[in-house]
Amino acid sequence: MNSDTQTQHDLQGILHLGQKRMATGMPDTDWQSVTRQRGTAGVAAMARPDRKQEAWRYTPLGFLDQAEYQPIVEGPFDALQLSDIEDLMLAEPPAIRLVFVNGYLASGLCSMAKATSGVVLSSLAGGLGEVPAALRQQLDAIAEHNHVFAALNSALMSDGALIHLAAGARLDGPIEILHVSVGLEQPGICHPRHLIVLEDGARAEVIERYCGLGDGTYFTNALIEVSLGSDSELLHQRMQEESVHAQHLSDLQVRLGARSRYQLTLAALGGAWSRNDVRVTFGGEGATAQLDGLMLAGDRQFNDVHLVVRHEVPNCTSRETFKGILDGSGRVVFDGHIVVSRDAQKTDAVLSNRNLMLARSAEVDTKPQLEIYADDVKCSHGTTVGELDPDMLFYLRSRGIPEHQAKQLLCQGFAQEVFDGMANPALRARAGKLLAARLLESA
Amino acid sequence: MMLSIKNLKAEVEGKEILKGLDLQVGAGEVHAIMGPNGSGKSTLAHILAGRDGYAVTAGEVLFNGESLIELAPEERASRGIFLAFQYPVELPGVNNTHFLKEALNAQRKARGEPELDSVAFLKLIREKLAMVSMQPELLKRPVNAGFSGGEKKRNEILQMALLEPKLAILDETDSGLDIDALKTVSDGVNALRSPDRSVILVTHYQRLLDYIQPDFVHVLAGGKIVRSGDKGLAKELEAKGYGWLSGQDEAA
Ligand SMILES: Nc1ncnc2c1ncn2[C@@H]1O[C@H](COP(=O)(O)OP(=O)(O)OP(=O)(O)O)[C@@H](O)[C@H]1O
Ligand SMILES: [Mg+2]
Repeated sequence: MNSDTQTQHDLQGILHLGQKRMATGMPDTDWQSVTRQRGTAGVAAMARPDRKQEAWRYTPLGFLDQAEYQPIVEGPFDALQLSDIEDLMLAEPPAIRLVFVNGYLASGLCSMAKATSGVVLSSLAGGLGEVPAALRQQLDAIAEHNHVFAALNSALMSDGALIHLAAGARLDGPIEILHVSVGLEQPGICHPRHLIVLEDGARAEVIERYCGLGDGTYFTNALIEVSLGSDSELLHQRMQEESVHAQHLSDLQVRLGARSRYQLTLAALGGAWSRNDVRVTFGGEGATAQLDGLMLAGDRQFNDVHLVVRHEVPNCTSRETFKGILDGSGRVVFDGHIVVSRDAQKTDAVLSNRNLMLARSAEVDTKPQLEIYADDVKCSHGTTVGELDPDMLFYLRSRGIPEHQAKQLLCQGFAQEVFDGMANPALRARAGKLLAARLLESA
Repeated sequence: MMLSIKNLKAEVEGKEILKGLDLQVGAGEVHAIMGPNGSGKSTLAHILAGRDGYAVTAGEVLFNGESLIELAPEERASRGIFLAFQYPVELPGVNNTHFLKEALNAQRKARGEPELDSVAFLKLIREKLAMVSMQPELLKRPVNAGFSGGEKKRNEILQMALLEPKLAILDETDSGLDIDALKTVSDGVNALRSPDRSVILVTHYQRLLDYIQPDFVHVLAGGKIVRSGDKGLAKELEAKGYGWLSGQDEAA
């Protein structure tokens, strides 16, 4: 290997190449330069994580050496038509749908219902018109660069959904953000950046999906910021259904105002390598967060969730239920960390991680942690790793259901508790179907 | 002979439970099996349905002339064997309607019959539901999860009514039922009775046999059938207990 390719493997190399290629004359994106500079500085200051860092101890990054990821910094990619992504659409597509392809808005694939008052839908690269000041100011207000990938996202962020609901605004139907990756000749890396802001008393439902078209190798490095004002409510349903060769990293950072309610349902089903960082911080009293997730690690799949919930104020409640299903040589990593600061009295938190092992060759590393500095709290955590219950299997088989189908039913049953948290029926159905299909591929 | 069991010996974890059991069940017959706790009744039922964990060390089990022992549980089911469990299993997250449909269609598929579509299935299940007077809400819930004891038993009978087995084995389906439920369960079994269907009732109570008239009554004790007779035997057992039977040194 010569030194040229060596640097390209490096994340700094991706940054430099990306910056060099980035279209200089992007319309009116000067307001993003502070974020990009902060990202650039972050990448320069941070090394690629290694196993000495606790948060990356079980996360293998060897794939970075296997491919020369080309930064995708030019958009839009507008070769796709609606008929191309038919299979990726929900059975009942939401009336508002923002579709991004390889990190950039694909206007022709979007669907925009008539404007609801108080709701602004915009796109980072300006494809939906000038980005309003309210959104410009909020960009990068929450994001911390907890690792070099987050910094890389800030430096090279391509495009993304910017959603703003004014105080009291309510959306009835869901907004769907659909990210589609199309494999290119050379594996690409793209950096979607989404921002969701709900002002006081607003309510919304957001579906966020990452799909692969075909089975290409590519790396999605996404960062999502969510800010909830007082008394607001967000139902956030996320589904990772990337191609079987893809790498997917999502860094979700959420800040909750007083008495707000945040419900996250995550179904991480695809990809060869998947890592979801979820960081929720309580910034106002009386707020509630329900965070549920399903991680599938079939044969040759790696699936990682790192969760940090910070109770920094009193009287907040959080429930975290994450489940893993493993098969073949699949690996799941779950790191669930709940921090209760000294002032956060009356915190009520329950963290659970349950794993279902379909094969002895699979591996799970789970680390639930409670770090509690307040004295009047109700917190608990629990972890289980188990196999399919032979009594359940026999019961199904005694009714005539063949063994492989019985296993599938039980896995789906195990996942159902998580999927039931999805408010959208079409999404729930898709999650169930996809899980069944991936289990079958893996068997 | 529909079911022919000869000199069946079986072990669980090295412990011999069935010690040379003989039983012949003809088509259209109802057989009741009674016997002390721990005598091996459920073990026999499980072995017939094909549960893992039992080592058959001697004897044969023929179902319509075919040896059962090598068959997988699902193969036995599609040939017409049905076990109503003494302790029905809870399946969290598995929707009851979905489960019933998968079961019926899996059996139909195995037999080379066309599968039912959702509409045809829902029509059929509604009929069966009425037959066993089960709350329709129970169909929307996960299989048996949080069901009361009686609801679980009704759900077993619903499955039996839906799957229409050739040989139904009911393992203490009457235990823990109130009078009305006992009546419905019995009605369900009686509705299934026909010249080509047979039933094995495992029970501790003569009461059930007032509703379902058995052709034969057997006593299973110490891993063998120690006595067979007509329904008069059940009355006798009710009055005298198991102690009076000869060869009862092993009875629990
Ligand atoms: N997995 C097992 N391991 C060890 N012993 C077992 C196992 N399963 C059954 N046995 C034993 O086999 C014997 C027969 O049990 P079985 O459940 O067949 O009795 P039963 O006649 O159905 O009793 P009951 O009337 O109480 O339902 C009992 O002594 C029981 O403890
Ligand atoms: Mg028993």
